[in-house]
Amino acid sequence: MALTITCPICGKRNGYEFRYGGEEKGPRPDEAGLTPEAWCDYVHMNNCVAGVQEEWWFHKDGCGSWFKIHRDTTTNLEIEQTEATE
Amino acid sequence: MNRFNHLPTLKVDSASKIAFVYKGKKYYGAKGDTIATALFANGIRIFSRSLKYHRPRGLYSLDGECSNTCMEVDGIPNVRCENTLLKDGMVIKEQNVKGSAQNDMMGFIDKLDWMMPAGFYYNTMHKPAKIWPIAMKQIRKAAGLGTLSPDFDMPGRYDEIYPTADVVIIGGGPAGMTAAIEAGKKGLRVILMESRPWLGGCFEYRSREYQNRQTLNERAHQLANEVNALDNIRVFTHTSAVGVYNNNLVTGFQIGQEEDPFTERYLEIRATSIVVAAGCIERPLIFDHNERPGVMQAACALRLAKTYGILPGKKAVFSVGHDFGLEAAIELHDLGLPIACIADIREDGQDPFLMKRIQAKNIPFHKGWVANTTHGQKEVKAVTLSGIDGLITKKVNCDLLVASAGMTPVTGHITVNQGKLCYDSHTNFFLPKEMPEKMHAAGTLLGLTDPVSIETSGKLAGLKAAFDCENCSIKDIGDAKKELEALPGPARGSKLVTAPVQGRKSFICFDEDTTIKNIKQAIDKGFDVPELIKRFTSAGTGPGQGGIPGHNLPLYVAKYQALQDISIKPTTVRPPLVPTGISTYAGTNHKMFKITPMDDMQRKDGGIFRNIGVWQRARYFSSDLSCKKEIENVRSNVGMLDGSTLGKFRIHGPDALKALQRVYVSDMSKVKEGRIKYSAMCNDDGCVIDDGVVVKQGENDYYFTTSTGRAGQTVEWIRYHTRYDGWDFSLVNLTDSMGVINLSGPNARKVLEKVVDIDVSNEAFGFSEYKAFKIQDTIPVKAMRLGFVGELSYELHVPSSYMKAVWLMLKDAGQEFNIQNFGVEAQNVLRMEKCHIILGQESEQRTNLLDVGLGFLWDRSKTDTKTVGTVALRQAESDQSRFRLVGFEMENNGRAPRDGSLIVDTKVRGYVCTARDSFSMNKAVGMALVEAPLADIGTRLEIFEDECGDERIYGKVVKMPFYDPSGQRMKM
Ligand SMILES: [Zn+2]
Repeated sequence: MALTITCPICGKRNGYEFRYGGEEKGPRPDEAGLTPEAWCDYVHMNNCVAGVQEEWWFHKDGCGSWFKIHRDTTTNLEIEQTEATE
Repeated sequence: MNRFNHLPTLKVDSASKIAFVYKGKKYYGAKGDTIATALFANGIRIFSRSLKYHRPRGLYSLDGECSNTCMEVDGIPNVRCENTLLKDGMVIKEQNVKGSAQNDMMGFIDKLDWMMPAGFYYNTMHKPAKIWPIAMKQIRKAAGLGTLSPDFDMPGRYDEIYPTADVVIIGGGPAGMTAAIEAGKKGLRVILMESRPWLGGCFEYRSREYQNRQTLNERAHQLANEVNALDNIRVFTHTSAVGVYNNNLVTGFQIGQEEDPFTERYLEIRATSIVVAAGCIERPLIFDHNERPGVMQAACALRLAKTYGILPGKKAVFSVGHDFGLEAAIELHDLGLPIACIADIREDGQDPFLMKRIQAKNIPFHKGWVANTTHGQKEVKAVTLSGIDGLITKKVNCDLLVASAGMTPVTGHITVNQGKLCYDSHTNFFLPKEMPEKMHAAGTLLGLTDPVSIETSGKLAGLKAAFDCENCSIKDIGDAKKELEALPGPARGSKLVTAPVQGRKSFICFDEDTTIKNIKQAIDKGFDVPELIKRFTSAGTGPGQGGIPGHNLPLYVAKYQALQDISIKPTTVRPPLVPTGISTYAGTNHKMFKITPMDDMQRKDGGIFRNIGVWQRARYFSSDLSCKKEIENVRSNVGMLDGSTLGKFRIHGPDALKALQRVYVSDMSKVKEGRIKYSAMCNDDGCVIDDGVVVKQGENDYYFTTSTGRAGQTVEWIRYHTRYDGWDFSLVNLTDSMGVINLSGPNARKVLEKVVDIDVSNEAFGFSEYKAFKIQDTIPVKAMRLGFVGELSYELHVPSSYMKAVWLMLKDAGQEFNIQNFGVEAQNVLRMEKCHIILGQESEQRTNLLDVGLGFLWDRSKTDTKTVGTVALRQAESDQSRFRLVGFEMENNGRAPRDGSLIVDTKVRGYVCTARDSFSMNKAVGMALVEAPLADIGTRLEIFEDECGDERIYGKVVKMPFYDPSGQRMKM
């Protein structure tokens, strides 16, 4: 509830406006040579980091874009990108 | 009762009369009264009976820290009467009593307390297990806090607002107001929240001198005027802050005044900085029978007189541990309350000025003495005082015992925001040690008692908050800090928690009837920290949110275990810090839905509407819910359906096709201009989530439909699955800007050709074809020849603003054929007879594309598109354990089973998706998802319906579709 998210288009907005889209896991793997286990891992398994995680959000009540933020899962606060990449 | 009418501190209009009904009898209160003060003014002393022992309870504090004054008001149980303003015509009843609070037939339970030690229910009610349901009923009858009728409709209007502010200040007392003025003077946007109906806090009701002959009461008014003079301070009175979250989000609720358009409203405030100046409540003094009606806290007694004009008793004894208690005694004495004596827990350290006044008034004063027990049947008649060691005692007659061990800071707003408290031996307070970022504490909750110190701490906090908003210099803060340091610091607090008693009838928590003896029992059983003791004894779990046990519990636990260093922490408090009505959280307008452009016309035509997803749709057009006439009309003549809820989208741009290829299982490169492509979308598990049609409108320009339920998520879905690709396409949701008319039946063409200019013959506009044209050179229409209901059918997509016009043209043209409306239920049966599926009816979350027989849509050669769902579909293809969609008919002309009925043998083998008595087929048919071995044609299906007992009905698997298997009728 207290979360705010910074949309690259609309700026810092109330967390209610967004939908969570999961951890950053990279693009969809190629289908050639893909094992069911590897596929299942990609789709369903999460790292569940206790700390800063990179994750996807959708601005559903705004511009309708998907983007990534860094969030500290222990405080539920967005971390500025520059801080997170240090 | 005569009330004071001359005091400058009064908040009631003593001359006014507000009528209310209490226990069926009419009473009068004054304007400004709370329910509790009005009852008290009418001589009511016993307000309720306690939860467990049915002990009489009365007015103890005035801020709702316990359930003593919870009553049923206008049908609403558990109303906190000391916080609720009296309104004309209120009907007030007692709760949790058998008989009345005055004569409660359950009162004998108090004598049985020896049978019920801490953890009594846990220890006795679990063996044998079957006792529990019976015992529970009896316990619930005896205990509990009011009842609510299940069909009770909560009256009132509930609102919500979401303001933002630079600084939020919690507490409108002297510190909070000073902080607001400091931040406000710097031009910051300030919100000031005060839980009482007026500003002023602990200054408001006191006549002690502030400075230069100005009283605290006058000073409070001066500060309030300064606050109100600043336009950038928004004041919310009668507003409790009930939660503080990270990112400095503050929640609260405001009780509406009579002129407000809301009964209560929820506030959610985003702030840059927060000042907590929530003040103190009094710390209950614990002794035997410490909650007998007639015992009350010092501020309660003083405020009854000075705010509400009611003298709290006829003869009083004071047992206090702080200078405020002495101040209250002097003020009440001067107002005419005879005081038998004052017992002060402290041996020394009293304010010499107050002592001089007490001596001058000849009030007997005992240092190092404390109330030990009260006497009286239901109300206090006398009190036994003792030295704090308990060696000498003395009995004094009185009807009022003002008892207070000291003060307890209100720290909940700090701790819910992850601030840490630490025990401070000077004040005997748990003081904030680590404040959360951009949150500052001020006022009496820091232990300050000197009025100027209190205000200066508010000034410092206001400047710190301004600094958080980049609006204050470090130097200003340094100056304010120095100013505060030069003033009197926190006062020494009394350390005594309990009088020297055994504690069998000494209550540490009123709401849950927890005694000191119970706490000792819990500790002796090994529950050595407050969190565990709270759960074992339920102390602090009642409606008062732990207000009464509060900091007494950790202090007593430390004392009983003789802990030198008080590392014990108070129990965790959680939002809402003040009990909040669920109606307030629920807010307003719960009946929200979308309507189509045809809504009013369909209602005029006799449509019976139902909520379907986010929409209201016409489901039937007559009281015959089997829709026989509507169905027969479509099969033999022509009907019109409002299909505007269908999801409608345009996708265009150089990479539009790539995006379609990603989400649709078919090869979308095969979509030809002028032709309709039916396809489906899956999720990454291969489960089918949507189906619809795609048409090509031009180069890199497509129009597609989704099911009604998926329209809201489609943009999100397509963008999500293309988020790494950087493709260039635009996606537009046209669902609300376009309406859809479904014109179906053998006479559909004859109707349409009268309205449009284009050739609609079967040769020019064949089945599965798409045409875009204009009606009367004006109205753009996208027309598709589809066959969802299994007849000749045109789906016309029309801009919403033209929907009624086109509808009326068709209706006019169809008059000669007697064209009729049909609703969603008729469509449901018509398409079921054709075995055209509806996702969500013939599928659930685990149903994949292959299960429902749509495998033919999947283009396996499409491997480089990374189409969503295909990896999983490849896995599922060889899986024999999955459900299959089958058609079935009922045996022996039996009726159709209800949707959702189970297919069983010795186990559940599947379920009925949709089944109806089909007029077209003259028998009951349906579709079901069943295990693969049951899917062969001719298999007998055993069907179990809810509540049918041992009865079963039977059907058998038949070929799909049931109606017009060759599909001639929709192609004609
Ligand atoms: Zn945005």
